[in-house]
Amino acid sequence: MTIGRVTQRMLTQGSLDSVQGGLARLARVQEQLTTGRVLNRPSDNPTDTTAAMRVRTAIGNQEQYARNAQDGLGWLTQIDSTLGQVTDSVRKARDLALAGANSGALNQVARDALATEVEVLRQGIVGSANATYLDRPVFGGITSGDRAYDDAGTYVGTVGDVNRRIADGVLVKVDVDGLDVFGTGATSVFAELDALSTALRTGDNAAVSTAIQQLTTRIDTVVSARTAAGAIYERVDKAVQAATDAELALSNDLSVLENADLAATTVELQLAEVAYQASLAATSRVLQPSLVDFLR
Amino acid sequence: MAGSFGSVQSALSAIRYNAVALDVASNNISNAATEGYVRRRVQAEALGGPEVPALWSRYGGHGDGVRVAGMERMVDGLLDARVRREHGALTYLQTSQTVLQRLENGIGEPGPDGVSQALIDFRKSWSDLANNPGSDAARQQVIGRGSTLALALHNQYTNVTGEEADQRVHLLSAVSEVNTAATDLAALNQTILGLEINGTDASTLRDSRDSLALRLAELTGASVTVRPDGMYDVSVAGQALVTGDTAGTLAVTGGVLPDGSADGGPIVLEISLGGGSAVVPAAGLGGETGAVVELLSDTLPTYRAGLNAVALELATAVNGQHRAGFDSAGVAGGDFFAFDPTAPAGSLAVAITDPALVAASGVAGARDGGNADALGEAGQVEESYQRLVNTFGTEVAALQRRTANQAALAGSVDDAWEQQAGVNLDEETVAMMTSQRAYEAAARLMTTLDEVLDTLINRTGLVGR
Repeated sequence: MTIGRVTQRMLTQGSLDSVQGGLARLARVQEQLTTGRVLNRPSDNPTDTTAAMRVRTAIGNQEQYARNAQDGLGWLTQIDSTLGQVTDSVRKARDLALAGANSGALNQVARDALATEVEVLRQGIVGSANATYLDRPVFGGITSGDRAYDDAGTYVGTVGDVNRRIADGVLVKVDVDGLDVFGTGATSVFAELDALSTALRTGDNAAVSTAIQQLTTRIDTVVSARTAAGAIYERVDKAVQAATDAELALSNDLSVLENADLAATTVELQLAEVAYQASLAATSRVLQPSLVDFLR
Repeated sequence: MAGSFGSVQSALSAIRYNAVALDVASNNISNAATEGYVRRRVQAEALGGPEVPALWSRYGGHGDGVRVAGMERMVDGLLDARVRREHGALTYLQTSQTVLQRLENGIGEPGPDGVSQALIDFRKSWSDLANNPGSDAARQQVIGRGSTLALALHNQYTNVTGEEADQRVHLLSAVSEVNTAATDLAALNQTILGLEINGTDASTLRDSRDSLALRLAELTGASVTVRPDGMYDVSVAGQALVTGDTAGTLAVTGGVLPDGSADGGPIVLEISLGGGSAVVPAAGLGGETGAVVELLSDTLPTYRAGLNAVALELATAVNGQHRAGFDSAGVAGGDFFAFDPTAPAGSLAVAITDPALVAASGVAGARDGGNADALGEAGQVEESYQRLVNTFGTEVAALQRRTANQAALAGSVDDAWEQQAGVNLDEETVAMMTSQRAYEAAARLMTTLDEVLDTLINRTGLVGR
């Protein structure tokens, strides 16, 4: 472009434009420094904005997965310790049965004592079967009541899975179905213990043997349920770790997308400042003189 | 030289001419910073012999001084037209950019306060309820988060509709300014023609008329044709608005009511001129008005429709899943969100106030979180919303780039105009100095002639006295 004439208005306008431009650049850097963010509105970088929104959603999901999994761990911990107690109690009952089966060495008084002890164990197991986590019976399925078993040993829960979403599309069952561990009514561990105590009181050795068989099987049932719950515990625990790790990695990604690089921005501020001062200095020198100052 | 006093006359003409030249320089200097002022230059003409030779006449002189031949206004019609065109385009972009940037600031993405975050929180609250379906607090939280989400969408919707209302008023005021400018321009056409026929200098009025023409271009993207008699004809999108001394009237005849509210129809602009009226095609409309019409007919309704689509998708999915579940009394769920189908984003609200009515359970009468879990997965409108924000952000970013480019272009055209028409103080100083010296020299010439005559009159004829 050839500049034919330069006029005072051109100089003024040009100086004003460059001073304004310098100020605008300063303002942009200042915004980035004060907010600490390079993405302050979608138009700053539409692609990165979308990416940042996606990452924020993903972080939200991972946070929630970690929360869900933590809650699941609570259920599984309660189930594990309860099933541990139940195993001990059933094993104790079987030991009592074995002692009671030794009919030659025991009189009725001793067998009655054994029967009483079995009844106490039975009550303990009823308590365990009604163990709760946050006021919900962990063996009661999705029951809206607060017990899984009534005192007679009948299942009063509602069969249904208590699930936790621990990862994208992954639901795990964090409860244990009471029917699978304790049974119900005539086929329950409670009925087995009732039969044992009755047999001990009546001296029915055949019934005691049957009870021993049943309790041995029951121990296996309880132990295998506990093992299964333990396996799920491990899986959920891993999920907590995975979700926490993913959240951390995603937060890093988000920071790369959204946050201003302090060093780079400070240098940019310095540059913008220099440019602004230069345009101010240039303005003051360009606008001042005219021929009037030199022709006397 | 014709006669003894001829030189006195030509010195007088030099004094007169240079006084005018000083006057013009003075006026130029005074207006060095005046917007739209075009520098003047006085044209000198040497006075010589008779222009029409007459029989037997003979001119024995060689020049009789100087006179003012006229005043030149340093304009270039072509450059003026370019300035108008580029400024029209710049105003168009700047108007759109200002409005969209304002809207963009209300979006609040990406960040912790936008719709996006509200969506995340809403879905998390369903998950929390799935974990703890018996908890009143978790149910209450779902309702609260749902309301927050509805409010976030509602806010954006209100921003858009508010902006639309503002722009309708903007359109009306721009149109009324167009009409005032057109009337003034037609009046100036007539005055200038009259003055110049009388031989009066109408430069100042021409400056005003050019400013009006530029303003009309900024308002509507109007183009100007200069008639052989010097009057300006102005047309907007191919429709005549001013012809000579007659100004037409631009009016909004559809889309916007006189009180600034919308009538639901498309926006129609018409020009009435000389009894007839013609619809202005929106496609050819530029400048501020063109930008506002574009915003009102396309950009803002598109974003509003996008928000509505997101809200509808969300509400439909959540309501559908909510109806599939059962509340804490075992009754099948109703609608979770209530909305007006004509404006879902603007009217979205949580329909449930009683936390017990949240249908978290997938099984009637049980304390189950199955449906709450499904609800957390339902209504995944993030993607639609992200697309909406991305499209909008891209549009604003593109507009910013185009505006910057156009500003640079308009700036260079302005520079060219300024080079042609602007006042340079150095130049004026030189002109001033030249005139001053010429004035001084002419005055000195008078003294010389005076002395010559003095010699001739008072000192001749004294021989032998």
